[in-house]
Amino acid sequence: MENYKIVLFLCNWGPHGAFQALQEDGYKIPGEIKMIRIPCTGRISKALLFKAFEMGADGVALAGCAPGACRYGSGTYNAIKNTEDTREIIEVLGLGRERLRLATFLPDDVDPLKEFLSDFVADIKALGKSPIVSATSKGDFPEESFTESGQELLAMAPATTAETIRKIIEKHDAYACQDCGKCTSSCPLALCGKDFSPRTLVGSLIAGEVDSENVKNNIWSCLTCGTCYERCPSEVNFPLLIQDLRSVLFKRKESHQTHGGFFHSLMRSMASPGLRQKRWKDLPSAIKTDPESKTLFYGGCAPYFDLFFRNHQQVKNANVLNDALRLLNFFDVTPRILENERCCGHDLLWSGDRQNFINIAKLNCDYLNSLGIEEMITACPECYKTFAQTYKENGIELNFKVTHLYEFLDTELERGAVTIENPDITFTYQDSCRLNSLEDVRDLPRKLIRRFSNGNFVEMQNNGSTALCCGNSAWIGCDAFSKALQVKRLTQGRNTQSDVMLTSCGKCRIHLGCAMEDPFSGDKLKMELVDLTSVIADHVRWE
Amino acid sequence: MSDKKEKQEIIVTGFGGQGIILAGRIIGMAAALRDDKESTLVQSYGPESRGGACCAQVVISNTIIQYPYITTPDILACMSQSAYEKYYRSLKPGGFLLTDKDLVIPQDDRLCFAIPATRMAEELGRKMMANIIMVGFTTAVTNLVTKEAALFAVTSSVPKGTEKMNTKAFNLGFDYGLSKLKGLEKRAGGQTGAKNEA
Repeated sequence: MENYKIVLFLCNWGPHGAFQALQEDGYKIPGEIKMIRIPCTGRISKALLFKAFEMGADGVALAGCAPGACRYGSGTYNAIKNTEDTREIIEVLGLGRERLRLATFLPDDVDPLKEFLSDFVADIKALGKSPIVSATSKGDFPEESFTESGQELLAMAPATTAETIRKIIEKHDAYACQDCGKCTSSCPLALCGKDFSPRTLVGSLIAGEVDSENVKNNIWSCLTCGTCYERCPSEVNFPLLIQDLRSVLFKRKESHQTHGGFFHSLMRSMASPGLRQKRWKDLPSAIKTDPESKTLFYGGCAPYFDLFFRNHQQVKNANVLNDALRLLNFFDVTPRILENERCCGHDLLWSGDRQNFINIAKLNCDYLNSLGIEEMITACPECYKTFAQTYKENGIELNFKVTHLYEFLDTELERGAVTIENPDITFTYQDSCRLNSLEDVRDLPRKLIRRFSNGNFVEMQNNGSTALCCGNSAWIGCDAFSKALQVKRLTQGRNTQSDVMLTSCGKCRIHLGCAMEDPFSGDKLKMELVDLTSVIADHVRWE
Repeated sequence: MSDKKEKQEIIVTGFGGQGIILAGRIIGMAAALRDDKESTLVQSYGPESRGGACCAQVVISNTIIQYPYITTPDILACMSQSAYEKYYRSLKPGGFLLTDKDLVIPQDDRLCFAIPATRMAEELGRKMMANIIMVGFTTAVTNLVTKEAALFAVTSSVPKGTEKMNTKAFNLGFDYGLSKLKGLEKRAGGQTGAKNEA
């Protein structure tokens, strides 16, 4: 018999009384149910709800107090919202929303609770085991799939940390540091007042101070935007240095995840081979796709972000994917799309979880290489960088070409006979750090903007290679300084007097949009954020 | 298209110095040397070819050409306003009118295939290649000669060492032409933008 695991989060107040009464009546609680007593259902965040699934639960039930009976007032209300959002997310993920359920009970509701529990167990058994393989029980992939340095990092035991750090410093030639300080003086984070300095960090690492709190905090704080690398006269690739250092710290179970680690859990779960997602279930019918096409459109995780942040303004990233598909259709490309598209692994790698990055990259590589496609087009800067560059760096070879949508558009628009109507508003542009770090594509967004802006394009004070980050990367380390950075960026945007801030990355919109929700100064920061892809899709015309 | 009609008459016209005669010559050469047809060229002499309205008259035919002068062309390619104004009335009904978009403002609402050839040549770094871009555009839009024949004629007519650049210019014009035809087809089908979904 299959061993089912069902987690029951049980509120201390109403339902716990009923639960106790059940036990006192001699009712045998089904063996599949693992009860966890909690102070209030409102405290069980989306991340905690999902964490249970990531760790191998087949079903999760949240039992709270009836609305109005909550001891703390708004607990049930929060629980309803969290449950609804998470249910939609696991539906897209292919688990089925029925695996997560919220129910409310008064202390007297003994029979309803009994009924609920037995029904839930029966329903979960009918649904079968969850396709998610818990990260802890996942077998490691064969070692030959890693590059040399990757293998070293993975094989490392905590005792040899110092040695590994030395090797990492050597690999990125951080010994070449001339102590000039150009990195720190250009670092957007340091300029916001944060106690963060790439120069000091490298100095401390060389001095062997990896265990100092300051050094560790600095390693997690870095935005990996690459401004310092751009400036460094010794060409120390600081972002990659940070990436490797994080793998070391992650091995020691240290991390600084935001949103309760929800997105990292989600991405790790996507490394399960048996998963069958429903990513494109809301695709408008007017968009043409072709399952036999040699061109694949890779959307990225936007549908999940939209669901997670659906109670926040401005986060409608899936629309950008639809606009990208419309543009492909416009130029007579009918692409293939994949319902079971996995995360590229970008955030796992950049938050230190190299093992799961490799797991997901291997799965992606085997699957995508077997499709017989010739080209992958993506509009996501992170997917693009990861597939086009990072996979190769980690010894994973894809058998097709990876193209950013901007490259595709540039080629098509270059052919002529197509115009982008001038939208008659003024623009500024928020750079994407991942596109800026790649030479082939860094100039493309501005080239595209100039095709239609007709002089209505104003740069922010910091732009191009000195552009400011949106405040976070890879869902780690959000704090007051992230906010300060966002405020600074939005103020620069407002100072251009532009109507719209164009962006290339969904995360820029999420993070800058978050700062605009500030109850006190939000109005001074409000600015319309629109993806460049959407503007082009709205205004492109055959001549 | 060249198979459908036995004889095609083309006038390429513009300022002297734009490479009008060379453009005409290339089209004629392509037809005669590679497409297995007859062709003739009559070109302006005198002051026109040194700055005035210059003109190359090319006749392409499957049989021997008895008379090389053209009064009503099937295809008219104009690279200057004065040349356009001089010739546009003579174009046959149903003929192709091709213009340099930035240099010619059309006077009537007849279908006009416009390409910013001079601007594209400037962006390419060689303003003098506008004529080759026009040849590429004409080839794509009118199907007068085959692409291979036109490319052969281009590379064998231009100065040594510039073949690669000229091939690029030709392809720019050719792609623009294809894209233009595609656009017309889309517009005819009711699709103008990426979002007007029926």
